[in-house]
Amino acid sequence: MTSEVESIISRAKNKRNLRRQNTIQVFGYILVWVCGILAVAAVFWIIGYVLSQGLQVIDLEFLTTRPAGGVSGEGGMSTTIVTTLYLVVLTIAIATPLGVGAAIYLVEYAGDASRESKVVAFLVKAARTGVEILAGVPSIIFGLFGFALFVSYLKLGFSLLSASLSGAALILPTIIRTSEEALITVPLSYREGSLSLGATKWYTIFNVVLPTAMPGIVTGMVLSIGRIIAETAIFWVTLGGSYHLPKSIMNSGRSMALHVYMLASETRAFDKAMATASILIIAIIFLNLTINIVSRRLTTRVTGKK
Amino acid sequence: MERSPSKHNKKPLYVGIITKMLSVILGLAAMAGLAFAVFLFMNPNFIESSGDSLFQLTHLYYGIGVIIASGLLALVAKGIWQYKNWARTILLIGLLVFIIYYFIVIVFTVSSYIFAGESLVPVVSICKALGQGLLFFLEYTFLPGLLVFALMKINQYYEESPQQRDFIDNAVRYLLLGTALSCIIIVFLIFLFTMTEAWSSIEEIGMDTMLLGTIWRPGSIIGTEEAQFGLLPMIVGSILSTFGAVVIGVPLSIGTAIFLAEVAPRAVRETIRPAVELLAGIPSVVYGLFGMVVLAPLIRHIDIPRNTGFGLLNASIILAVMIIPTVTNIAEDAIRAVPREYKEGSMALGGTHWQTIVRVILPSARSGIIAAVILGIGRALGETMAMIMVIGNSIAMPKPLNNNPLTLFLNTARTLTGNIAVEINYAAGEHRSALFFTGVLLFIMIMLVNSAARFLMRSRQES
Repeated sequence: MTSEVESIISRAKNKRNLRRQNTIQVFGYILVWVCGILAVAAVFWIIGYVLSQGLQVIDLEFLTTRPAGGVSGEGGMSTTIVTTLYLVVLTIAIATPLGVGAAIYLVEYAGDASRESKVVAFLVKAARTGVEILAGVPSIIFGLFGFALFVSYLKLGFSLLSASLSGAALILPTIIRTSEEALITVPLSYREGSLSLGATKWYTIFNVVLPTAMPGIVTGMVLSIGRIIAETAIFWVTLGGSYHLPKSIMNSGRSMALHVYMLASETRAFDKAMATASILIIAIIFLNLTINIVSRRLTTRVTGKK
Repeated sequence: MERSPSKHNKKPLYVGIITKMLSVILGLAAMAGLAFAVFLFMNPNFIESSGDSLFQLTHLYYGIGVIIASGLLALVAKGIWQYKNWARTILLIGLLVFIIYYFIVIVFTVSSYIFAGESLVPVVSICKALGQGLLFFLEYTFLPGLLVFALMKINQYYEESPQQRDFIDNAVRYLLLGTALSCIIIVFLIFLFTMTEAWSSIEEIGMDTMLLGTIWRPGSIIGTEEAQFGLLPMIVGSILSTFGAVVIGVPLSIGTAIFLAEVAPRAVRETIRPAVELLAGIPSVVYGLFGMVVLAPLIRHIDIPRNTGFGLLNASIILAVMIIPTVTNIAEDAIRAVPREYKEGSMALGGTHWQTIVRVILPSARSGIIAAVILGIGRALGETMAMIMVIGNSIAMPKPLNNNPLTLFLNTARTLTGNIAVEINYAAGEHRSALFFTGVLLFIMIMLVNSAARFLMRSRQES
């Protein structure tokens, strides 16, 4: 008799508990949905606002005349486009050989070489630690470093060269990591096939492994281009900020991101700043799309599926 | 390994002609170089040394350079004559460098014309300039390009001994080791240069005075009063703005991570993830601009005297949005890494999905999520440009605006990063050294934060 009552009570409790848990679950789901929607809303609010304000200002004259300088905030943004392009090309040209070389060594040589000698093993460990540390260094520190080493000590002055050398230090870890990942995914059988035909290790890497890993390496380069376009702090302390067109790599210049900062903080020409910022955002969106396409092609090639 | 001679003895006629001609041309160039060197030594005044250049180049250096270059040319000419592969490689690299150099020169010239920007350039002349640039480029690189093509085509007739091949293989290995060490060398250089620049301030002002001093008054601004370099207001500013960002951003990011990993339908996930990734790519100046133009007027609506809209609250909101992608990505990875069996076990015992998430998945992903938060803190501490645009950059210690302590966040402040960025371009002497000390401090703080995160992530992988 009593046990029956108890079981009825406990069943009722269970039911109530289940109902309570279901209510909690619904609230929990609502909570995380709200979080997700808020995150996306932040993206669309920022991008939407900047684009809607900025695109009104942009026309051919804005794109092909140079900033007037001073505190007026008049003029276009032509020289900043060119400077940004130069910076991207120079920085990538400096960082890619170093980064891809480092990735090749870490993936292809480091294992065998560390087993053979203690010194090399230590160096490889140091190299890996270096990549990890460098990836976490904030950009203003790279700026300080570039200011101390390139601008002051080597007397390169505020120039495209010192800016892109400092920028190369910033993107080096990105390039190394993405290239490493790309090289690791190349099947071992490719290497074995080439080596068994009598090719040397370097010949194998250069003619078999690198071409296969190319989409991944290109992804890393595109990512780095995005970082260089977006970077401001480094160039604020190493590039100088002259609005004239750089005549050579020893001249000072002003990148698009730097132009946004200078317009917003020194001239209060917010509409022009918005216009420049929207060009920046369009470039970033374009680069992200490129990465998506390249990485999709990469997965297609590896898995053989469309 | 003996190579079969039949294949290499039978070279087509055109290969022979190209090779011998190249060799002769290179040899002549080498002789011309030598003659020029002799001419230089006889007429030392032919080259005017300019006083302001980086290196003092006199006829002696030029002469030596020309002799070395001609020697190299002669060597390559001899190698080509004998069908050596190394000579072909050197020649190819030289030609490619030449072409790339001209490419850069042409790009510089054409874009200088189009974007010089004195006035509006009509579309027609833009096209004209592009066409002319292309024509020039072709004119200068047609012959070298043809040569590169030819050299690529006839590569099978050039030979290489096994010793040479092994030598190249080894040389490449050491070269690559050098590039692999570039990162650690850069880290070392960063430490060396910021430390040496900061050293004089550590010696003369003292580390404790800088770390605990509450007044930042560089002498170059206020001439008469004594300069003081106390960094405590900036340390407090950095910590407070980061704290605010964590309070606002971390719950949102972890919620988003749970949403993406466990709750969201596939289609929603596929649209939200790229959007969050885009957030990571947006330049920090754009965030700063948004904070100045949109958030500052909104915050100004809070009706408290001396509330300017710029300050810690604005900075915290902007930073919170900036750390969302970092925290979300890593936390999502951590949640996904929880073994499937845990989830299935909990569901099989009758737990609801939400109970499973809260009681099983989140606790087992704990270390990864903490690592994500710490990395977010690292990112927030290092942010510069957005901060100096929205935080107000006052050098005073942040205090509450009235009796309510929460109004502290409406006050202006300055971060360590902002301190460097605002003043470095005109600082000199002790002031500059103190700024470099700020950098060292920041560097050490972020190294500690990041190594804590790395330690957590590694322990997760091992367990």
